[in-house]
Amino acid sequence: MAKLRHIAIAAKDPDAMADFYVKAFDFKIVRSNDGPLAYGHHLSDGTIDLAILRFKTDQIGRGMDYTGLHHFGILVEDVDDAAKVAEACGGKHYMDQADPARTGGFEVKMYGPEGVLFDIAEHPWTGTEPLPAKVKEAAE
Amino acid sequence: MPKLRHIAIAAEDPEAMAEFYKKAFDFVEVGRPNGVLADGVFLSDGTLNIALLKFKTDQLGKGMDFRVEDVDEFSKKLESLGAEHYIDQGQGGHQAGYFEKKFFGPERVLFDIAEHGWAGAEALPDPVKQAAE
Repeated sequence: MAKLRHIAIAAKDPDAMADFYVKAFDFKIVRSNDGPLAYGHHLSDGTIDLAILRFKTDQIGRGMDYTGLHHFGILVEDVDDAAKVAEACGGKHYMDQADPARTGGFEVKMYGPEGVLFDIAEHPWTGTEPLPAKVKEAAE
Repeated sequence: MPKLRHIAIAAEDPEAMAEFYKKAFDFVEVGRPNGVLADGVFLSDGTLNIALLKFKTDQLGKGMDFRVEDVDEFSKKLESLGAEHYIDQGQGGHQAGYFEKKFFGPERVLFDIAEHGWAGAEALPDPVKQAAE
């Protein structure tokens, strides 16, 4: 089964917000980035990537002042197959990762029902748990 | 370490949204909440509870939720860091499978904490096992 492994929160001040979740919940900052899409920090609880980001474009149609849950990401076995299935179910492709060498983040972005944005990836987000089958494979 | 174990998505039509994620990603339906705050569908990927909810009040509908060892101890810590308490579950009682306390964090982002797991969500790791690792 695919696993939800990434949650992105839109923030005006990602530094201050990340500091809160690090202090409150002992989450670890596993990556900080300033890319074409967003600036911010990726926190991990060991399982999930919690990204606290100031977005540079309005990806979800709520305006640049929006703060709160922005999108989530699902780890899948095969990103191409998963994208085809999601499209067959009515999902709409939004964009692909521009840097083919970049792993540990989204690989494809799609809109699901009601315009809710989600990512899919077949490589785990940095600092997150792989799919259970991959853990089992690695142990064997 | 606490674990993020629940995510709530505001939906106009939770059933249609749930059908999409069940068909696309094989997520499993684990509940049909119908409460004072919202109704909708709970899905699980075996680790997280993914709630697709039609909210009945304007809570901002943009929450995430953390499972902690001790809700009361954690509440004190959160308030000392500037979080603002919003609401408790069921007049102070516990209802397994749901939030126990809601807080506003920085920038009014709403989040919940609970020491009893959300329906279909993985338990906290065994502290002894965690310490050994």
